[in-house]
Amino acid sequence: MSLENVETNELYAMLPPHVRQELEDHKQVMTAPRGTLLLDHGVLPDRLVILNKGSVQITVPCKRHSASVISRQAGKVFGMRAVMSGELPEIDVVCLEPCEITLLPREIFLALLKNYPEIYFAVAKVLSADLQIADCILRDHLRRGASAPRVRATRPV
Amino acid sequence: MAMAYNFHIIENCLKCSFREQRLFCDLPNDALSKLQNIKATSVYPKGAMLCLEGQPARGVFVLCTGRAKLTTTSAEGKSIILRIAEPGEVLGLTAVVSGSPYEATIETLEPSQANFISQADFVHFVQEHPDVGMKVAKQLTHNCKCAYGEIRAIGLSNSVPEKIAKLVLKWSENPLDFARKNPREIAIRVTLTQEEIAQFVGTSRETVSRVLGDFRKKGWLRIKGATWTILNKPALQSLVTT
Repeated sequence: MSLENVETNELYAMLPPHVRQELEDHKQVMTAPRGTLLLDHGVLPDRLVILNKGSVQITVPCKRHSASVISRQAGKVFGMRAVMSGELPEIDVVCLEPCEITLLPREIFLALLKNYPEIYFAVAKVLSADLQIADCILRDHLRRGASAPRVRATRPV
Repeated sequence: MAMAYNFHIIENCLKCSFREQRLFCDLPNDALSKLQNIKATSVYPKGAMLCLEGQPARGVFVLCTGRAKLTTTSAEGKSIILRIAEPGEVLGLTAVVSGSPYEATIETLEPSQANFISQADFVHFVQEHPDVGMKVAKQLTHNCKCAYGEIRAIGLSNSVPEKIAKLVLKWSENPLDFARKNPREIAIRVTLTQEEIAQFVGTSRETVSRVLGDFRKKGWLRIKGATWTILNKPALQSLVTT
């Protein structure tokens, strides 16, 4: 990912250029193989994960009927809620194919937020998108009341 | 202080005695002064529609008094209640922040007061005041948590009786104190109709009616209008296996 295609990243799209540049200096871009667990429910992530390319399965694990949705949204940010609140994530995110991802260290992002509190609106946008996904899963789950097949995660990112 | 229905209208956010208990409104004075200038206070009767699903977002509603249900419609045309909003919540937040249409229809469940803030004013307000941005992030985090909690609750429940028992037990966390005569009995106020309970747990009204009838027959629950009394909490708890 480069600064030229920031409109595909739901976080970067809302950030001023100097803040984006600071994040660029700390990012790590990699390809995660199929089955990689990008976000593990119950484990506090030390990074934000941005999906640049590929598809992932987002699952709310339940003992009986897990609820899932597949996302192919390039630029989707995962782990924002956990990074912001310090609460454990409630979802698993697993790569359904080799995915290009960007990792942003949690501490760097929080420090940036402290220095530039005006970027809270960008955070709110990401959280809004997360809530839309949660509502979509809830809607689907209430309608069907059944579980979707879950992809087995092979290893954490 | 002006009255409407059975509550006082909170006209001045700076003087609101509830603000410290509320997720969004506990703001510094400069932000509250700004909020006071950009909001329009309205009082709504029970059953008023604040916004409709799919409608372009016009702004947010800060629910000051009363409760509201957030409903969506499935592809099959069935209504589903996503959640019940409590005082202090900002409604329509996702749509306004993301610039998309309203995700749900919002209807008051009882006489309510809501302060409306237009989309442009709200976005400017968030961008100008980092404290507000932080509150918005907290509110969205809270909403996400509620949604995932709801998904898990449904995913963990096998049967409709279990789902309804879970719902009743959840409501029993806020009992009507004045109605408590017997320490074993828990009185709660339920303003949802059987149809709405059905929409909440993803079943039909007939099934809800049958299950509640069964709970009554077994002596677990007494229903008198909007006042429900849980007579046998352990029995309801025994239905909840997880």
